[in-house]
Amino acid sequence: MAGELVSPTPALRGSARRTAALRLLRRRLIQAVPLMLGVVVINFCLIQMAPGSFLELMTAENQVSDPATVELLRKTYGLEDPVWMQLLKYIWALLHFDFGFSYRQNMPVIQAIWIHLPATILLMVSSITLAVTIGVAAGVVASMKVRTFWDSLVSIAAMFFYAAPSFWLGIMMIVLFSVKLGWLPVGGMMKIGGTGGVLEILHHLILPTLALGLFYAAIYTRVMRSSMLEVAQLDFVRTARAKGLSRNKVTIHHVLRNALLPVVTILGVQMGTVLAGSVVIESVFSWPGVGSLLFDSVSSRNYPVVLGIMVLGSLVVIAANIAVDLVYMWLDPRIEIR
Amino acid sequence: MTIKVSRRVFGAGVLATGMVGTSRGSFAQGTPKRGGTLVATWGGGEPQACYVPAGGGSSPTFSSSKLFERLALRRMDGKFEGVLAESWKPSADFKSYAVKIRKGVKFHDGKDMTVDDVVYSVGEIWKKYAAASALTDFAGIEAPDAETVVFKYNNPTPEFFFASTLCGTVSYILPKHIYAGSDPVTNAANNAPIATGPWKFKEWVRGSHFEYVKNENYWKKDEPYLDRLIIRYVRDPAGRAAAMEAGDIHIGVFNPVAPPDIKRLTGTGKFVATPKGYEEAVWSTTLECNMRNPVFAKREVRQAMFHAVNREFIAKTVYYGYARPGTSPIYSPNKEFYTADTFKTGFDPKKAAALLDAAGFPKKADGKRFTLNLLSAGWFQENGKVGAYVKQALEDVGVGINLTVPDRPTSLKRIYTDYDYDLAISNQANPSEPVPSTTQYFTTDGILKGVPFRNASGYSNPDVDKLVASIKVETDPTKRKALVVEFQKIIAQEAPLLPLVELESITLASTKVQNHSNDPNFLAASWGDLWLAS
Repeated sequence: MAGELVSPTPALRGSARRTAALRLLRRRLIQAVPLMLGVVVINFCLIQMAPGSFLELMTAENQVSDPATVELLRKTYGLEDPVWMQLLKYIWALLHFDFGFSYRQNMPVIQAIWIHLPATILLMVSSITLAVTIGVAAGVVASMKVRTFWDSLVSIAAMFFYAAPSFWLGIMMIVLFSVKLGWLPVGGMMKIGGTGGVLEILHHLILPTLALGLFYAAIYTRVMRSSMLEVAQLDFVRTARAKGLSRNKVTIHHVLRNALLPVVTILGVQMGTVLAGSVVIESVFSWPGVGSLLFDSVSSRNYPVVLGIMVLGSLVVIAANIAVDLVYMWLDPRIEIR
Repeated sequence: MTIKVSRRVFGAGVLATGMVGTSRGSFAQGTPKRGGTLVATWGGGEPQACYVPAGGGSSPTFSSSKLFERLALRRMDGKFEGVLAESWKPSADFKSYAVKIRKGVKFHDGKDMTVDDVVYSVGEIWKKYAAASALTDFAGIEAPDAETVVFKYNNPTPEFFFASTLCGTVSYILPKHIYAGSDPVTNAANNAPIATGPWKFKEWVRGSHFEYVKNENYWKKDEPYLDRLIIRYVRDPAGRAAAMEAGDIHIGVFNPVAPPDIKRLTGTGKFVATPKGYEEAVWSTTLECNMRNPVFAKREVRQAMFHAVNREFIAKTVYYGYARPGTSPIYSPNKEFYTADTFKTGFDPKKAAALLDAAGFPKKADGKRFTLNLLSAGWFQENGKVGAYVKQALEDVGVGINLTVPDRPTSLKRIYTDYDYDLAISNQANPSEPVPSTTQYFTTDGILKGVPFRNASGYSNPDVDKLVASIKVETDPTKRKALVVEFQKIIAQEAPLLPLVELESITLASTKVQNHSNDPNFLAASWGDLWLAS
């Protein structure tokens, strides 16, 4: 949803900039409505197309053979209606912030997701923070030391972490840091019977964050390096140098800020893939997040929960992209987003 | 990454009359030490609820069996022993059984367990959910006094069958005061059960673990030896291996790690691996012919399917030796009923080709006799590998194969609801008592559209139906065994569905863990007698 950039235009300043930002926010929120509707309809249809149903799985697990009981269950789960009616009912319920009921977990869908959501948000935020920090720093270093040992080192490391599957990296890190060295826990979010304190959770967060974040750090490193080198060739950088500014000052104040734009773009786009990546990482590290819930729900055809996660995931991606648009405007006041 | 569950993860097929036994004897050294926390895991995922009235598969059975208790259990030596029942006795006509209920048993909330709880559990939970297919002849239960309940049957009921029913995997005694008047399937107590067992539910951290604490008022005064029991869920087998190696998990049941890791971990001297503890829940990988396809009308064609497949190869290659060729619908660890003296469908591709030729299916110009849809149920990752091999093996004898490996819900639907397959590679887990767990795969009344782990092949043979009806009511153990042997001989020759291999499930435990794996269904035992050595 990241908008179309049109630049350069005269830089907006002060209240004009705030007004432009609010106008953008309003426009994006209005655009989000049909987008969300599309997400709901497409996901609902895709799930309906998957063979095997929650009802069949439940009757299988419960060895229900009586047709009357099956019919009763069908009615209980609202499956007796035609699909289009089920979709309309679902949309209507969503409009009332009702995500439905998960009969598998025997609780409302929102509650089932809520139990797992903090763990996933924590993992996503820490991984993205790690990825952006390392990616930007390594990209800047590589661009400033281009065609040197440091540049090669950064490039090789980036290539390695980009190519290494995150589940393999996770397992290798468990073997090294947990099994061999005994420094970090093998998995979970806290010690069993532990207090769940901040330090305890952070201790458990290190390996999953590294396993998930380093892949994205590798991408940001490559993008940042090439972006830095590209911006460094532009006229305004040459002008800054001609004015006698130091190399560091030019790099940090002029090149870095402008070179960040592609990283911000990718960040917004990749919010959804980070969420998807957490499914794998949560599995390797037994991290009790939404990814595990999604995997279980797909396997058990627990449609209400799958849809709920899809809807919430889409909301996160849309929100991230609106934030990206706003960050564009902050980074480069000349940018107008249509 | 392996995201399919490892093999033998769910056991919906063993719901009805799976049995459990006691744990004593092996893997125990010296005097039990009290205290400590045991962390356990298993080769599957987290359950949908801590307790599922109908069983719900192996995962909820694992979590609930530490809390709830049954009326009886089966020991490793094959004998039955009372748990919440002190004894049972049949009437002269074997149409009723009087069961003496143990006195002084309390639920975790302090309420006494009474005959009312037993009557409620059997009438409302066993009959409708937990043991429905085993109680088709059940006529009711009553409590003539405060210590006795009487099970009534419409027909004579063999003692072995009755005792097996008391030991059913989820034939638990539930608190009537918690469940009566509610829908047992959705009762909130299913996620925080109140029961009578050695462990009391403390908490369920979803996505992570269950925590149980010692039941200080447990009726067995010595047990449990441990203070705390944790069941931890680690989805990835490599993650389980790492957690065990790091000392975070003491014991893993039901194939917790990949076979190469079993060898590696036991090689450290800190772990032991054993196939013991699965004698009453023996899993197999089966090949099933859909009789609705006219190709399978002749039994020679069905036999040819098995002759074409090298079961030794499957056992050694796919299961790393943790399997053995299957020969009969009753599995070889079944001391009561198994016979090796059955019709053999061993590996013999020439014989398979000859049988197909004789059945009127010679090779055509394209080298194929006919083409079949082979469905390999994707609930165990090994099934896909077995499917790939079976496809090759059958193509070698001129049978074209379209192989699909759908996921679990799709496999269930295609095999048991839509009958959308010609050959299916699936799995079963059967206890010693063959009725109904084993027999329902072959009897006509086992053909129930949409009900899994029954007769999906559509095989219907009046002789088999009659034989199974006799097995059901024969109260003389010797005559009953002879009937079961006869049943095996017929099925082995008819070959509508036969095991390709019998699977060897493995428990991997730290050498510190004592008293494990000496129960014929260790996963579903109470674990009150486990302890940790220093």
